[in-house]
Amino acid sequence: MSSLYVDTPIPIEDMKLWFKGSAGLHKHHEAMQRLKALHIFSEEKGCYKMNATFLEQFRNALTGGGDSQSFGLATSTPDKHHVDIAFLDDYATKQWEAILHFMVGTTEGRPPCKGVLNLLGRSGLMTGGSDIPQGDNMDARDFANQMARHDFGVPKITHKGFQFLLQDINTQVWAFLLQYLNMAESLFMDLVEVLTFFFQLGSLELGNDYSSETLTPTQTHLLEDLKAYGIVYQRKRGSRRFYPTRLATTLTSGTPVMLGSHTNAAKIAATAVAARKTEEEEEDDHGFIVLETNYRLYAYTDSPLQIAVLNLFVHLRDRFPNMVTGVITRDSIRRALSKGITADQIITYLTAHAHTQMRKHTPILPLTVVDQIRLWEIEKNRLRPTASWLYSQFSRQQDFESTLQYASEMGVVLWSDQKKRLICVSSDGHQAVGNYVRKLINRHKEQQAQQAQSQQQPHHHHTTSVAS
Amino acid sequence: MVKAVKGVVVECDSSVKMIILGLNEKGQFIIEDLDETHVFVDASCVDQLRLDIDEILNENTYKVEESK
Repeated sequence: MSSLYVDTPIPIEDMKLWFKGSAGLHKHHEAMQRLKALHIFSEEKGCYKMNATFLEQFRNALTGGGDSQSFGLATSTPDKHHVDIAFLDDYATKQWEAILHFMVGTTEGRPPCKGVLNLLGRSGLMTGGSDIPQGDNMDARDFANQMARHDFGVPKITHKGFQFLLQDINTQVWAFLLQYLNMAESLFMDLVEVLTFFFQLGSLELGNDYSSETLTPTQTHLLEDLKAYGIVYQRKRGSRRFYPTRLATTLTSGTPVMLGSHTNAAKIAATAVAARKTEEEEEDDHGFIVLETNYRLYAYTDSPLQIAVLNLFVHLRDRFPNMVTGVITRDSIRRALSKGITADQIITYLTAHAHTQMRKHTPILPLTVVDQIRLWEIEKNRLRPTASWLYSQFSRQQDFESTLQYASEMGVVLWSDQKKRLICVSSDGHQAVGNYVRKLINRHKEQQAQQAQSQQQPHHHHTTSVAS
Repeated sequence: MVKAVKGVVVECDSSVKMIILGLNEKGQFIIEDLDETHVFVDASCVDQLRLDIDEILNENTYKVEESK
């Protein structure tokens, strides 16, 4: 850091004096090795020299000078419509939950905008109606249009989508942004600009407003989309300032840190905004599901989102102001399975959200129920079909044996029977095994031809040819 | 002469195997009856077969009645 404002190259010996003791020196050596590998420092005539471009940019970044704006430009004038952190939290939660709500198929709230639908469809988190082709080559915009159309049918949550719901918010946001990056190219956006903006967002400070004037057109467009996810807040379209919400500022911090700070903030916000939806996050952490050995389930929640998730695999029966009761039945599990949700996912979800009372037991969930859910899944997959080729009618035992040996060396034998001389080969191996058999037969034919020839020759040769 | 036929090997338990044999009497789709737990069938009928078996198994499961 000190070397930042030293313009002349620093002699190595001088730099060593900055460090105390041998431990410090060792660390210094390590650090310099790395910096050199990154071409940030170079060694010249016994002096260290910092890369000029790096030096300039780094100084710029720290002082907020230059025009690159790596940490975002805070607006200098106070906002007339200043919003506080609680509001931002509330906004972020509301936007984000709207998306999740849409995923589980509740009619609560308005459906998310096209951009979100587009993203959900492209990432494979949700699928549209059953008979719509799901090609990758499908144009992103087309897909969004179809999703938004009313007669298109209700988009369904997929296997991947359910997995997504089980993750914590930070992972979800990242998954969303990564998908956005994948999509950026098809939307004719510059990947570098998008990425820059994401990282810039991560370094912004919560509760401050930033100017959107320095953003490139691509980034302005991006801002619109991020607004829909609740990652940033803008008072109205085209407003000159925007606020990053908690979803944005925690992007680059570690997940556990975020969870902790989030709940704390949620608690504060909850009291401030008179126990709004944020309370649910609190419950989220404590767990709210009680599952009994008789397959009954009690969920202490009033969040429509949680209830909707439960409704995917539980037969809900009664709803009270602060809880719902339901039963896990064969039908309810089968319904979930047929949507592509796996038994393991259900069990993970139940375990993750188990009530504190439940956590006192080991294992957390009653074994009978867990086993039964797994059994129901297995029952659904009682057939295990594999595309294959059946080789039959081997005329000679040795042909059969050598083919079998050849195929099993390749690891393509699905099934074989010695007595019936049958081999089932997976379709991958068909080509190779087919060639092998053809070669065998040809060789056999040649031998027969030779035999036939030798049979025509005088009698004393006959005995030898048979032996061969 | 060696013969190769394209199809699908279905692995299942023996009770399902019996159901498959029963279904085969209606429409012939089994190419080769391999053993207790394997049948070699026509590739085009696997989906239908899965549905049929599901239906039959569904009829034969005991459901807990909703106690009110």
